[in-house]
Amino acid sequence: MSDSLVTLLIGISLLVLVLWFFWPEKGLYARWQRGRRMTARIRREDALKHIHNCEMGGSVASIQSIAGALGVNLNKASATLSELEDNNLAQISNGGIRLTPAGRESALHTLRAHRMWERYLADETGYSEQEWHDLAERYEHELTPSEVEALSAKLGYPTHDPHGDPIPAADGEIVHHGGQPLTAAEIDTPLRIVHLEDEPDVVYAQLVAEGLHLGMMLRLVERTPERLRFWAGGDEHTLAPVLAANISVLALPEREAEDPVGKPLSHLRSGESAVVLSISPVCRGLDRQRLLDLGLLPGTKVGVELIGPGGDPKAYRIRGALIALRDDQADRILVE
Amino acid sequence: MSEARAVSPEKLLKSARTLRWEVGGNVHEALTEAIYTDAASIADRAVSRPEESPKFDLDRTIDKIVTHRFWGFPVMILLFALVFWITITGANVPSAWLASLLLGKVHPWLSEIALSLGFPLWLKGLLVDGMYLATAWVISVMLPPMAIFFPLFTLLEDFGYLPRVAFNLDSAFKKSGAHGKQALSMMMGFGCNAAGVIATRIIDSPRERLIAIITNNFALCNGRWPTQILIATIFIGALVPAHLGGLISSFAVVGIAVLGILLTFLVNLILSRTMLRGAPSSFSMELPPYRPPRIMQTIYTSFIDRTIYVLWRAIVFAAPAGAAIWLSANITIGGVTIAEHLVNFLNPVGILIGLNGVILLAYIVAIPANEIVIPTVLMLTVLMTGAAGFDTGAGVMFELDSNASTLALLHAGGWTLLTAVNLMIFSLVHNPCSTTIYTIYKETGSLKWTTVASIMPLVLGLLMTFFVAQIWRVTAGLL
Repeated sequence: MSDSLVTLLIGISLLVLVLWFFWPEKGLYARWQRGRRMTARIRREDALKHIHNCEMGGSVASIQSIAGALGVNLNKASATLSELEDNNLAQISNGGIRLTPAGRESALHTLRAHRMWERYLADETGYSEQEWHDLAERYEHELTPSEVEALSAKLGYPTHDPHGDPIPAADGEIVHHGGQPLTAAEIDTPLRIVHLEDEPDVVYAQLVAEGLHLGMMLRLVERTPERLRFWAGGDEHTLAPVLAANISVLALPEREAEDPVGKPLSHLRSGESAVVLSISPVCRGLDRQRLLDLGLLPGTKVGVELIGPGGDPKAYRIRGALIALRDDQADRILVE
Repeated sequence: MSEARAVSPEKLLKSARTLRWEVGGNVHEALTEAIYTDAASIADRAVSRPEESPKFDLDRTIDKIVTHRFWGFPVMILLFALVFWITITGANVPSAWLASLLLGKVHPWLSEIALSLGFPLWLKGLLVDGMYLATAWVISVMLPPMAIFFPLFTLLEDFGYLPRVAFNLDSAFKKSGAHGKQALSMMMGFGCNAAGVIATRIIDSPRERLIAIITNNFALCNGRWPTQILIATIFIGALVPAHLGGLISSFAVVGIAVLGILLTFLVNLILSRTMLRGAPSSFSMELPPYRPPRIMQTIYTSFIDRTIYVLWRAIVFAAPAGAAIWLSANITIGGVTIAEHLVNFLNPVGILIGLNGVILLAYIVAIPANEIVIPTVLMLTVLMTGAAGFDTGAGVMFELDSNASTLALLHAGGWTLLTAVNLMIFSLVHNPCSTTIYTIYKETGSLKWTTVASIMPLVLGLLMTFFVAQIWRVTAGLL
């Protein structure tokens, strides 16, 4: 018996050890891989990207802000900065840290790779909104300009990343979405979301949880220093100004603004039917293709015919066929 | 055209890029939608549909019952229990008949012919006792249940009921990151895993399809049911008074099948969170209108398909396995047969995980066909123990007429209740048979996923039997 006890204990400890090593994301192997990726080259590229962002945003980068953006201490940040100077990628003048043309080109490539990869993740894979940014942070350093060009061709030359940020063209040309923060928008005018800031993660996760997405129409109802109240996607939302500042909107021309807002298909009750207004842009890639293949187009009449034993999925009558859709898909189809 | 000046390619590209910015990111989308809308409006003009009739609608009435919150699942369980019951009871008679014909009559007859033609003993042994016997075994175990199960299943599918099952079960599968249609490929897997893997073609989402392929092996296939039933009957059924034996051993077998379903969900969950995170996924399924099934045609085509399939499998995979088994039991190195060498080599590992070397060797040679595990185990046990009274000859697979003599032989081979329990677990959780592995490769076209699907269950099975054995021994020591 003591023999088996020893074998059992050895077995358990081996199992624990293996799990500790290979546990996804938190295991030793995953940590080691992450640590290995954080090379000097990646630090330089991240620093260039940060300086570029500051220039675009009208502020000036400093050693402190670089250290903050890279998540390293001041010594490492200043070492990285002097490497940039040595390679003639950035200059320190009394006006602060500035990019040289070579440095700007490098920063734009990183930015282009990042946004192109996010576009790819959104269109062609099943990763969720919250995962795009972190994955793109990794791959932006691994793609060469020609690879990004090939990816761009494969994706049909996209112009914007899934958050609404413009993807810089291969020659560095960049166009801004031109929107204003929701906090500065006018009350009771039709607006369209043109950009959702994906940093910091926590804030972005909250915006995603609210069901907000690019291209969504909204109407501001109330604005106080404590909160903003608005209608979007058939529901009323309330956000703190800190969060709302990460949403950029553009006023809609009057003719487009006549579009009724609609409600999600999943809100229909058994036996009810409605007409499709649109498929939300959140529904992408394969999923969207399938819905279009089924003939779910604006103007199509859809009725709820069956509800599954668990309440989900539901079966809808679409163009004479009975099609089962899950609620999280039907949420993304707007009807009236 | 006065404007026909030469335009440089750079200029053209530049203006294309500017235009792309102006039309915005949704141009492909808008184009697609416009095409669909045009197609729809043309179709609407050209196709006239009968007026909607709100009369009694049979389809809707059936749907209301079979997807009902309370009635849906009982109806489903009842129907599937019926299919399995018909398969198991219906297969007994032809199985016994095929066995007595192929093993009891044709085998001695072939042996006589081979001898009268003056075949050397080794050639007769290799061809008749090795290759023919393994083939015959696979046919008699596999053919009758396959020929009954799959036509019944096809009938349900033809009628239109199976999509409703997927619809009912989708919410459960969704929680484990899988597709409701996996319920169907899993049920097919209870018949044959290779067929189950092919059945995953109905899942149109790449990620969920891969999950369904990899976990199909956890559906206990026809080739493994006989092992489970035999071991449960002679070891677990024997624990209780005789009149309860049948009931308890059935519970044990069903318990193993349920364990397989639980493992399916668990592995679904792990795969969708780790290796297959980020693979593209989409859900939609059509619930087609009910149709009266074309009974005779379905039974005929399904029967012929399955018969050809089983015969092909028996010849391609089982016959070489039979040859390997016979050779290993008859070629000696240093006065000891290869089989004995291998068994002795595997024994320490086997004992450690609560099995033994004989079982492990039987599972290695039975990779081509799980049906021959028990005959091989019995043959090897006789070979190892030198038990008297079995004059079949080395390398000749056999089964015993009475459960009591099987039990006696296995006890002589050192089997305990733990061996039996772990054999049942290992029979459920080990690498798929070579037909299934080959099918997985053909369906996925990927060496990586074929390897994962083959190795992962084996590792899981070794882990499970190891821990069961150690915990069993520790508790047995405490009692």
